[in-house]
Amino acid sequence: MSTANLAISGVDPGEGVVEALGNLYAQRQRSLLALLGIMIGTASIIAMLTIGHMAQHETMRMYKHLGVDILQIHALPVTGPEGFLDRRTIVALPGADPDILAAAPLAVGRAGVAASGAAADLAVVTADPALPGLTGMRLAQGRFLGGIDEDSLATVVGAGAAAKLSTPGAPVVPGASVRIGQYVYGVVGVLAPMPYTAFDPTNFNDAVLIPLNGAGRFRASGQPDTVLMRLRPDADVKAAGERIAARLANPNSRMQVISARELIDGMNAQKAIHGRLLTAIGGISLLVGGIGVMNVMLMGVMERRREIGLRAAIGATPGDLRRMFLIEAAVLAFVGGVGGLALGLAAALLTARMSGWAFGAPLYVLILGPGMAALVGVAFGFYPAAKAARLDPIEALRAE
Amino acid sequence: MLRLSGVGKQYGPPDRPTPVLRDISFSLADGTFCAVVGPSGSGKSTLMNIIGLLDRPTSGRVDLDGIAVDFASPETTARLRNQTLGFVFQAFHLLPRLTAWENVALPLLYRRTERRERRGRALDMLGQVGLADRADHRPGELSGGQKQRVALARALVGRPRLILADEPTGSLDSVTANEVMSLLSDLNRRLGLTIVMVTHDQALAARCDRRIEVLDGRIVLDTAAA
Repeated sequence: MSTANLAISGVDPGEGVVEALGNLYAQRQRSLLALLGIMIGTASIIAMLTIGHMAQHETMRMYKHLGVDILQIHALPVTGPEGFLDRRTIVALPGADPDILAAAPLAVGRAGVAASGAAADLAVVTADPALPGLTGMRLAQGRFLGGIDEDSLATVVGAGAAAKLSTPGAPVVPGASVRIGQYVYGVVGVLAPMPYTAFDPTNFNDAVLIPLNGAGRFRASGQPDTVLMRLRPDADVKAAGERIAARLANPNSRMQVISARELIDGMNAQKAIHGRLLTAIGGISLLVGGIGVMNVMLMGVMERRREIGLRAAIGATPGDLRRMFLIEAAVLAFVGGVGGLALGLAAALLTARMSGWAFGAPLYVLILGPGMAALVGVAFGFYPAAKAARLDPIEALRAE
Repeated sequence: MLRLSGVGKQYGPPDRPTPVLRDISFSLADGTFCAVVGPSGSGKSTLMNIIGLLDRPTSGRVDLDGIAVDFASPETTARLRNQTLGFVFQAFHLLPRLTAWENVALPLLYRRTERRERRGRALDMLGQVGLADRADHRPGELSGGQKQRVALARALVGRPRLILADEPTGSLDSVTANEVMSLLSDLNRRLGLTIVMVTHDQALAARCDRRIEVLDGRIVLDTAAA
């Protein structure tokens, strides 16, 4: 019987929202305080979802850029000052191991690099002609290092390095000269800007590349310390890594095997931990926020007893009164949810800027954030609303 | 239109009850302007609450237009209050946040009347109580007499059959009280409204068609009962 009566006497929900906004505005200072918890809760959940979304994108970009079948073995020093790998063994790898399609030895050092007008401290990569195929490098100008450069003082300059070393009137372009350490190299090519992924041994944008034979000028052993390999798509990455590490083993070095697949898995695991942490923070904040909403609503019910009594006297049913306070709680929390959405997106934008990621938010968070907040409001508004509906109108009208 | 038959009300535990009303019976014809008088604690407020369907009698029955009121259903009594009754309180009970016309229109909100129509009817009602030019003022900007006239407009906006006025002039000075009383009399005569008014003021009670005097929970005088 009560449902039928409720339907007849019910207040239009749209008007309920307008009225709720008016009531909340009337006690705005208190409302704002209650919003903080909801805002922080929504913001951390929104930030988590958006950052997760962007990280997913980033992983996908790395997949596309490198492929998952890339393996890196890095020699760490055991006894001497540096670990190293035997270059001839590496060059022979694609023929010797059926799982290896290509292999590029390299070593990364650092040196002061100077052009005619500018100088910078840059990474010096001794590189093999096979390197571009394994890192996704592209040339902006000139050519890459080839077999004919092995014994010459030829260098390819990264995009960022070229920008740092160029001065007006003296651009670093093919044909220019740069001094790397104590040697003057001729520039044969300039790289196009490229993403720096977690898998790259160094940021190639801020590096100069020289032939492997020049390694002796920057490294005591004169040998590379890293090898990048592309495996057959169906290869067992873990087994191949162990097998090749064994083949390259030497007493001076400890082998560190990194596969793109493991790296991505690791990133995902890390992301999952961050996600859980943010969810926990978000959940607790929403809980605290919900309690805040309940508190504000309870105070509202106490203070507005006369109003409740009057509304009851002129015909509001208990259902009308319950609905009025539920809508108020939902609107209050929804406003907090919208604020939290903005805050969460701002945090995600900041994260994107700091990580060099592309900013993008999944569409569903725009609805999910405020919607979830409104649900929290309704859940925590139930008790105060029920209290308002249960008030005895006679007592309520007498209240001071 | 209103009939009370053997209505009693008691508070406290059933084994040690405190009776407030005992065996109240009377009926009220359409268009009567009836005063209820009695000292504090006589039970007249409880009587008004029962007539106003805000309180539940412990015994007896209340008939509105020949139909027994089902006090067990708060939805039913709320709907009856909304559609048949109009309340005027000593303390006005206007919502300070709302304008005069919004206060007047409040009962219509619980009938799902559209805003445009609510406003139209509220403005019309404010005109009838002589406050057309105060429609957009808030209660804080109105005098006591104006507030009570707004409250009266609110009681009338739903076209009720019965107006319950609890000390409507109790918070007003004598001149304003007289104005409000004249307005009530006028409404009673012009629109044929049935009015039940609680008052302490014997002079006001004397201006009514009928006087019911309550003492110790019983009707001790009813000018219509002879």
